[in-house]
Amino acid sequence: MSTAPSLRTPPSLRFLAGVFLLGWMLVALFPLVWIAVQSVRLPVDAFSSNPFTVLRAPGTLAAEGGVSVLGLLGVIAIGGGLIYWLRRHGSDVAYRVAGPRRVRGWLAVLAMAAVALVIGVWVLQVIPLGAPAIGLTFAHYRQVWIADGFHHQFLNSMLVTGGVVTISLSVGTLAAYGFARTRTRLAFWLLIIALVFRAMPHSVLVAGYLPVFISSREWLTPLWQFPLFSLISADPPTLYGKPWAVIVVLVAINQPFTIWLLRSFFASIPAELDEAAAVDGCTPFGAFRRVIMPVMWPGVITAGLFSFLLAYNDYIVAALLLDAQSQTMVPTISQYINSETNAGDQLRAVAAAVSITAPLFLLIMAFQRNIVSGLVQGAVKG
Amino acid sequence: MRRSTFFAFIAPSFVLMLLFIATPLVIVGWQSLHQERGLFHDVKVETCSPGFLRQTCTTEIRSQPVRGADGKAITETRFVGLDNFAALLQPDLLGRALSGSRAAFAELLELDFYRALRFTLTFTFATLPLVLGLGLAIALAVDATVRSLRGPAIFVSLLPYVITPVVGALSIRWLFVGDGIGTAGLEGLTGQRILMLTSGWTMELLMLFYRVWHVAPFAFLVFYAGLQTVDQSTMEAAVVDGATRLQRLRTIVLPHLAPLVVFVALIHMMDSYRVFEEVVGFASQSYRISLQWLTFHYLTADNTGNRAVSRASASAILTMVGIVLLLIPLLMRTWREHRGK
Amino acid sequence: MMLRKFAAMAAVSLLASVSAQAACDIHPPMPIKIMTASFPAWKAVTTAMAECGNLQVEFDMLYRDKQPAALAAKPALYNIAGTAPNNLVPLLNDGLVRPLDDLVAKFGQQLTPNQLVRIDGKVMAIAMMVNTQHFMYREDVLKSLNIPVPKTYDDILAAAAAMRKANAVQYPFAGSWKAGWDLAMEFINLFPAYGGSFVGAGNVPTINNATGLKTLATLKALTEYMDPEYLTADAASVAKQFQQGKVAMSNFWASRAGAMDDPKESTVVGKVIMAAAPAAVAGGKPATTLFWDGFAIAKNIPDQEAEYAFRVALKGIDAEMVKANNATAVWLIKEYQPSRLSEGAIASAEQGAPSYQATTAMGLMHSALGTGMADFFTGRKTAEQTLASIEAAYTTAARERGIMK
Repeated sequence: MSTAPSLRTPPSLRFLAGVFLLGWMLVALFPLVWIAVQSVRLPVDAFSSNPFTVLRAPGTLAAEGGVSVLGLLGVIAIGGGLIYWLRRHGSDVAYRVAGPRRVRGWLAVLAMAAVALVIGVWVLQVIPLGAPAIGLTFAHYRQVWIADGFHHQFLNSMLVTGGVVTISLSVGTLAAYGFARTRTRLAFWLLIIALVFRAMPHSVLVAGYLPVFISSREWLTPLWQFPLFSLISADPPTLYGKPWAVIVVLVAINQPFTIWLLRSFFASIPAELDEAAAVDGCTPFGAFRRVIMPVMWPGVITAGLFSFLLAYNDYIVAALLLDAQSQTMVPTISQYINSETNAGDQLRAVAAAVSITAPLFLLIMAFQRNIVSGLVQGAVKG
Repeated sequence: MRRSTFFAFIAPSFVLMLLFIATPLVIVGWQSLHQERGLFHDVKVETCSPGFLRQTCTTEIRSQPVRGADGKAITETRFVGLDNFAALLQPDLLGRALSGSRAAFAELLELDFYRALRFTLTFTFATLPLVLGLGLAIALAVDATVRSLRGPAIFVSLLPYVITPVVGALSIRWLFVGDGIGTAGLEGLTGQRILMLTSGWTMELLMLFYRVWHVAPFAFLVFYAGLQTVDQSTMEAAVVDGATRLQRLRTIVLPHLAPLVVFVALIHMMDSYRVFEEVVGFASQSYRISLQWLTFHYLTADNTGNRAVSRASASAILTMVGIVLLLIPLLMRTWREHRGK
Repeated sequence: MMLRKFAAMAAVSLLASVSAQAACDIHPPMPIKIMTASFPAWKAVTTAMAECGNLQVEFDMLYRDKQPAALAAKPALYNIAGTAPNNLVPLLNDGLVRPLDDLVAKFGQQLTPNQLVRIDGKVMAIAMMVNTQHFMYREDVLKSLNIPVPKTYDDILAAAAAMRKANAVQYPFAGSWKAGWDLAMEFINLFPAYGGSFVGAGNVPTINNATGLKTLATLKALTEYMDPEYLTADAASVAKQFQQGKVAMSNFWASRAGAMDDPKESTVVGKVIMAAAPAAVAGGKPATTLFWDGFAIAKNIPDQEAEYAFRVALKGIDAEMVKANNATAVWLIKEYQPSRLSEGAIASAEQGAPSYQATTAMGLMHSALGTGMADFFTGRKTAEQTLASIEAAYTTAARERGIMK
C-alpha cells in the first residue's frame, strides 16, 4: 500500500502512538507474564508481596536451583528469535518445503524450530554462564502434566475444540450463505431470532440439559426400536460424559455468532458470480461449491478462530456435562482452585493456567495475519 | 434464492439451535409461570449419626416427602401466573419507589434482583465507552505507528482477548489479593493502606478494569480491520481541501467506522449484560452480583439439594427481556440496513 | 470408536496410577463406579478400593448437582455415592439409595456400630471419618503474653485484644468466613450454642430474635481482629495465613490440622495446638457442628452389583488403609490412632458438639444465611434488617419447596 506523502503520519505523532502502544502492551501483557513467572517458583517465593522476591526467587534457588542471569537472557534471546523468525519467515519456508500443502509445511517448520531450540539450550548448558542467580523450578509443571495426567484433559480439550470448529463451520457456512443471498422479511426475523438466542445466558441453558443428558438412555429407548438407530450403537447412549454431545451443544450455542460473521462476509462476494453459475446449469449447492468455496477461506478462518475460542475457553458446559474421564482443561483448573486445596495446589493451578494459555499463544502466532485480513475482507461489515 | 433452497441451506444450523437453545428456552418460559412443589408430611424419625466413639441418636419431627407407589417423591406442579416474577420484582415496593419514596428506593436497591440489575447495567454502560474508546485508540495508534511495531502490537493486544476468561480474571485477582504485588504497588504510589477486595466499589472497579482489558482488543481488531478499508482517494481529496488530521478523522474515518462501532457495541452489550465470570473469578458475591449470577445461584443445588427452579427461570426470562430491550435501537438500525440493500 | 478409546485410556491410566499390588480378593465382574467430592481422605480410600480392580473413580466439584440426577437414572450411573449428612438428604428424599442392613449383617464385621448412619432405624450410609471446626491456637504466642487458653468466645475476644495491644501477630483471629456456605456455617455453629433453634413447628423460621442478634454481635466483634478480606477467605487461604504465622487463633476445620505441621509449607510446625471448639457461654457445649463423611449405595442397580460395590467400598475403609493414612483424617475406623492433631476434633465430639441436622429445611436455612449474612458484615444492613431479610428469603424458598404453608 503506497501512501501519498501528504497522508503520512508526522514523526511526532508516530512517536506518541508508539509510546501509547507500549504502555498498552505492558498492561495487556503484565498479568500473563506474572502468572508465568509465578508458575516456576516455589510457594515461598511465588506469593511474596515484594515483586523482586518473586522475580529473583531466593527460596526457590536455595531449594531447587536455578539459572544464571546470562543463561536466562540466552533463553529469552533464543525464544524471542525463534518467534520472530517463525512470524516473519515461517509461512514462506512452509510454502517452499511443501508447496500449497500447508499443514505438512508448517509441521516441517515447527520441527526445524524445535531442533533449533534444543540446540540452543544445549549450547547454553555447555558454555559457562556463571553461577545460578535466579530460582527456577518446573516442579508444578511436572506435577500437573506427569503426576496428575493433565495430557488426558489436553486431548479431551483438543477433541472437543476440533469437533466444534469443524462442525460449526460446515453447518454455519451453509446457513450464512443462505442468509447472505436472501432478503426476505422471514430471513431477517430468523436472523434476529438467532441473535436473541445468542443473548441467552448459558448457565440457564446448560442446567436444563443435565437431567436430560443423564437419563438419555431411558428416553431414547423407544427410538432404538427402529433398526436405523441400532446401526449407530447397540444400546441407546447416555449422553452425559460424551464429548460429542458437548460438541453438538457448543456448536448450537456458537451458531448465531458464526452466521452473523460469515453472512456479511458472503454478502461482500458479488451475487452475480453465483447467478452466472446458475445460468451455467449449476444447482444452488453446486454454485456454492464452485463459486463460493474457493474464495471463502479468509472469512471461514476468522469465524473458525472465534469458534475455537468459544469451545476451548468454555467452562460451564464441559463442567456440567462431562465426567472426570472426558473432562477438558478449563474446568480442571477450577478443581485445583476450589477450597479443598493448599498453597502448592494453587501453584499447580497457575501452572495449569499457563499450560492452557500456551496453545492460544501459538494459535494467534500462526493466524494473526489471517484474523486481520479475514476481518478486512468484509467479515466486519456489520 | 428460492425459499426451499434457502431453507435447505439454513436447516442444519436451525435444527441445532431449535434443539439446544429454543427448546430449553420454551421450557424455561414454561417453568417461570409454574411452581413445582414437593408434598411433605411430618414424620417422627429417629436419626443416628456418628460421633467420635458413640453415636448420637435424636428423635424429632421431620418433614419428609410423600412417596408414590414407584418410590419417587410426589410433586405437584401448579400454574402460578406471574408470582415468580413478583417474588423477584416486588411490584408494590417498586411502585412506592417509583412514586418518589426515597426510603422505598433505598430498600429496593437492597433486594437481590435490583442489586444485580443495578450492577449489571452499570457494568454494561460503564465498560461500553471504555471498550470502544480504548479499542479505537489502539487501532489508530497501531495504524499510525512505525511498521515494525505493528506486528508485535497486534500480537500482544490479542492476548487478553483470547485468554480463557477464568484464567484472565484469576491472573488479575491474584495481583490484588491481600498483599499481592498490585496492592503493594498501589500502596507504594498513594502511601495509603489499600484493600481492593474489601469494599464494593473497589471490587467493582477491578471488575470493570478486567472486562475492559479483556474486550478492548476485540474492538481494536474490528476497528483496525475497518481502518484498512478507508477510501484513500477520499482521504487525499480531503487533504487537498486542506482538512486537518482531526477533521479527516471526524468527517471520513469515524463515519466509515460507524457500522463497526454498532457491531462491536452490539456484541459487547450482549456479552456484558450476561456478566458472570467476573463475579465468580473475583468472588465478589458479597459485594456485587450480576443478573446471570443470580440466575445461576437460584439454579445451583444448595446444601441439601434444593433448587429454586421457578425463580431461576423467571430471572432468566427477565435477563433475556433486558437484553432485547437494550438491543432494540441497534436492531432497528440493522433492519433499515437490511431493507436498504 | 475414537471416543471410546480415549475414555478407556483415561480410565486405564487412572487405574494404573492408583492400583497397588492387589491385596484384594473381591474381583468385581462389573465396573464399580463411585462419585464423590475430592479431598485427601477420599483419595486415600479410593486408592485402597482400586486394589480390587475394575474401579472408576469420579471426583467432581459439582457432585451436589450431579449426584441426584446420576443416581436417578436407570440404571444409576454410579454404584457408590460419597456422602456427608447434607448431600445425603436429596438422595433420601427421592429414594435413590438403598438400606444396607442386609449387607452390613453379611459383610460388615469390620464396622463399629458408631459407623452405621441410621435413618428411621435403617442403615442408609456408612461413615468413615468425622470433620468439625475446632479451636486452633499458637501456643507460643499465648504463652509469651501469659494468656490462658480461651475456653469461650468471650475469652477469645479478650485474648485477641491482648495480642492486638502487644502487636504479637498481624491478625489475632482468623476463620474461613467466605460469604455463602462458609459464613453461614459460623452462624450455625454459634446460634444453637446460645440456645437458639433454626426452625420451629411447621418449619417456621425462628432466627429473627434476641439469640440471632447475639450471634451476629459476637461474630461482628471477632471481625475487629481479623484480616479485613475475611468475606473472601476460604479454608485454603486461612490455612496459608496460619502457615505463614500471620494469625494466632481460629475456629477452623480439623481436616486442615495436618497442614500446620507440613514442613514444606508451614513456618509454624509444632507450634499450633488443637483444642475443643470454644463454647458460646461459660460451661456450655463446644459451639461447633459435627460432620461425617462416608458412602451410600445406589438403589437403581442390580442387587448383585450393589453387593460387590458394598464389599469394594468396605475394602477402601479397612485397617490397612487407616494404617497407611492415619494422619489424613479423623477416621472412625477401629484401628485409627488418634494423634496430637486430632485432639481438638475428638475433644469437641466428646464434649457433646451437636451433629449437623441435615434436613430440607436446614438446607434452605443454610443458603438463606449464606446469602443474607454478608450484608451485615459489609455494613449494608443492620443486624435486625439482616435477620429479617434472611427470614424472608427462607420463607420464600420454603413455600416454593412446599415444606411451609
